[in-house]
Amino acid sequence: MNIEVDIGIKISNPFMLASGILDENGYTIKKILESGAGAAVTKSIGMEERRGYEPPVIYENDPVFINAIGLSNPGIENFFEEIKIALMGKKPVIGSIFGKDAEEFSYIARKMEQYGASAVELNLSCPHVNGYGMEVGSDPNLVNEIVNEVKSKINIPVYSKLSPNTSDIIEEAKAAEKSDALVLINTIKAMAIDIKAKKPVLSNIYGGMSGKAIKPVGIRYVYEIKKEMNKKIIGVGGIENINDAIEYIMAGASAVQIGTAIYKYGKNIFNKLNNDLISYMTANHIDNINELTGVALK
Amino acid sequence: MKTSIIYESIKLNDNTYIIKFQDNENIGPGQFIMVWVPGINEIPLSFSGLGDLKEITIKIYGKASEHIAHLKKGDTIFFRGPYGKPFENVAGKKLLIGAGTGIAPLVPLINKNAYGVLSGKTGEDIIFQDRFEKKSIVTDDGSYGKKGYAVDALKDIDLSEFDMIYACGPEIMLKSVMDYIININGKAQFSLERPMKCGIGICDSCSINGYQVCTDGPVFSLNQLMEMPEFGNTRLSYSGKRIKI
Repeated sequence: MNIEVDIGIKISNPFMLASGILDENGYTIKKILESGAGAAVTKSIGMEERRGYEPPVIYENDPVFINAIGLSNPGIENFFEEIKIALMGKKPVIGSIFGKDAEEFSYIARKMEQYGASAVELNLSCPHVNGYGMEVGSDPNLVNEIVNEVKSKINIPVYSKLSPNTSDIIEEAKAAEKSDALVLINTIKAMAIDIKAKKPVLSNIYGGMSGKAIKPVGIRYVYEIKKEMNKKIIGVGGIENINDAIEYIMAGASAVQIGTAIYKYGKNIFNKLNNDLISYMTANHIDNINELTGVALK
Repeated sequence: MKTSIIYESIKLNDNTYIIKFQDNENIGPGQFIMVWVPGINEIPLSFSGLGDLKEITIKIYGKASEHIAHLKKGDTIFFRGPYGKPFENVAGKKLLIGAGTGIAPLVPLINKNAYGVLSGKTGEDIIFQDRFEKKSIVTDDGSYGKKGYAVDALKDIDLSEFDMIYACGPEIMLKSVMDYIININGKAQFSLERPMKCGIGICDSCSINGYQVCTDGPVFSLNQLMEMPEFGNTRLSYSGKRIKI
């Protein structure tokens, strides 16, 4: 039975840690990899150290989570040690990066490659920081320039994480066509108001919504893009169990990322997903997980 | 977000207050809540009293803590939680070691079998000393009790007679306590504090060697801490930069 998948690099199973969750401290990433994840994506790293927003940075009301961490990160020059520690987990570490233009992206991508990252994931979609993420990602020309520039500067695969907060995600995906894979979807721009306090909960007011509630949105984007383009897709958004993961794979994903669900199920969710995948494949007489990718489109 | 109405506010000293509010939730010693000051900030706070009337002890060090400390009877407190794993409360003899307001989460463990070690920079930092029948007090400047650190007070105590040692305070203090007691009495639980943002185990801000202080802790056993090279050594700053403790 084969559960290994190919996303420009081979990973031992299709379950990856999503960027932004438990991936700032190298020791935590190492532990996630030891808990069964096939690969882990780091927190998004930029040129300079960035404090991010003051608490509250999260609103929790399962199945809805809204966060606005604010791209807090130590800056690429200070991230070497964390990658080094994470690599002790002996599985691929993928560097998530953000910048304001092609030059910044390619500089950070080169550093990630030097540090030992197996691939980079371009954050073209963070919905809660001005001048970065979604603001960069919603300009197709800029996306095109960034992806082409990064591709030309490094020898490891490049993934583009796209935003659902756009009027035309197909255009966005086509602009990122040179990527080795598309990562769909980032969080959905959202907010919550506490009616007793009569105030927005998050210090930044707006945040990105994740959790089980966004799964149908993610499924739709994976399906829609897979139908339009012959591109590898990594599905992310609201995956809590094997059925959720299979649904993404059937919609066209080659691998999936898990984030918010760790809140409910802990790091061991990765081991559980692996076991449940084997059980699912046995019960359904599937020899190779890759057979399932995109079956819903056929 | 939960809310409760402040029942009472007590001033302990110039910058430390106790606030009491009604909450029927079953909360263990050492667990904490994230207290929100709308429009200002949100900070983790643990309990110094755990009856139907919950009690928080707070030292003013920033805008949010100042606001919370100055809440008056009838005001509303906003919070989420409780979070984290509590201390395991043993029946036998207990040694409670607290630095400054670090003594607060240990207060619910006090009984006639408890011996307190209270430390502070100055005498102003020593609180809850009246709650202990038996105690040692040390201050960095010698302005109250003996001059010295918490670990200095331990040298005058027969540590082997305690069934459990509990400690809470700055990590550097906890590390020195651990290093001292490790060969004498390994039955110990320490409550850690690291920069906390989400409180629910997903942001990785408070992590130590793969453990999240907010969900796997804040209470860790001595055996757990011995396997954490980060303990007392390095941590991540608020931005995520690795810094020396």
